Amino acid sequence: MRKNPLIPFFIAAIVAVMLFAGIRIAHNNRANDPAKGQLMGNLAPDFELPTLDGKNLKLSDLRGKAVLLNFWATYCGPCKVEMPWFVELQNEFGPQGFQIVGVAMDDASNEDIAKFAKQMGVNYPILIGKESVGQSYGGVSVLPTTFFLDRDGRLIAREFGLRSRSDFVDDIKRALSQGHAVKAQK
Amino acid sequence: MKILLVLLVASALSLFSAGAWSQDDLGPQGPVVKMAPAPVVTVVQGKATTIPLLFRVSSGYHINSNKPKSEFLIPTALKIEATTDIVIGKTTYPDGVDTSFPFDPDEKLNVYTGDFKVEVLVRPLHSVQPGKYVIRGTLKYQACDNAACYPPKQLPVSFDVKIAKAASIPGKNPAQSPHAHQ
Repeated sequence: MRKNPLIPFFIAAIVAVMLFAGIRIAHNNRANDPAKGQLMGNLAPDFELPTLDGKNLKLSDLRGKAVLLNFWATYCGPCKVEMPWFVELQNEFGPQGFQIVGVAMDDASNEDIAKFAKQMGVNYPILIGKESVGQSYGGVSVLPTTFFLDRDGRLIAREFGLRSRSDFVDDIKRALSQGHAVKAQK
Repeated sequence: MKILLVLLVASALSLFSAGAWSQDDLGPQGPVVKMAPAPVVTVVQGKATTIPLLFRVSSGYHINSNKPKSEFLIPTALKIEATTDIVIGKTTYPDGVDTSFPFDPDEKLNVYTGDFKVEVLVRPLHSVQPGKYVIRGTLKYQACDNAACYPPKQLPVSFDVKIAKAASIPGKNPAQSPHAHQ
């Protein structure tokens, strides 16, 4: 029985398509998975979320400032430990162009989140988080998760779980020293 | 031709592994709380009986007790699906243990670690047909370890009860079963 001469070409075409798709998928996954460090050095995924006082905050509007982006929840004990440090660090580094942004990844009501933030004396904006925003940062399955953005909005560091205050200070100083200090739009 | 087939398999593997890279490997792998297989408890028609359910929290993790110390903490809670023939009564939770953790040595949380037992009171109606019934529900919990917390989870829970016929009472109608649950 004679073989069809087109079969090898057909198989070769399938192989080529599968290899191309595999490489593309792998590239996309790596580029968008901060858990594996692939978002580091790239622009932080932009988002716009409501604040506790009913306004909206767009991350890219903070361009020109170093940003600490903290995903947290009211039920999270380690997050509660960090908050007083963040209040101090906002006061200490804010004048140099540093901004902390909290994103509450919570099932609690906005009222409860606001009550919690007030109890903790939070002096930085708290946003009401969305799963889709967490996903754009690789899925926030660990709380707290904290990202550091330089003045150009690039992700330069991330911390999973509670870290020491000095770790945060080191990351903040690094974020402040990188990128261009331009006046933020908001 | 053989080379091409090998390439085809290799390409399929590359696609598979590319997908696998997207898996999140942070946090606990698998559920932090597991339920031990519950033995079948025999329950007599019309009689309230306590069913013990045993759970185990994975080593290195803790979950809040049913009565955590703060309104912001998520209590561990068992929710049993309503049934038409078996009345689900009170759920009894064990006391948690006041424990402090390295992330905040000054504060004590009321938690479950290791094994804990939740008891559910069930009372089959007199009308239930004798036999084996499956009761289902979920255990909601929220776990943390020594440095991080994880979003709340719902653990599916199920246990069997064997309904036995009550001693017959003279002058009463025989048992009926409008709804079987098997």
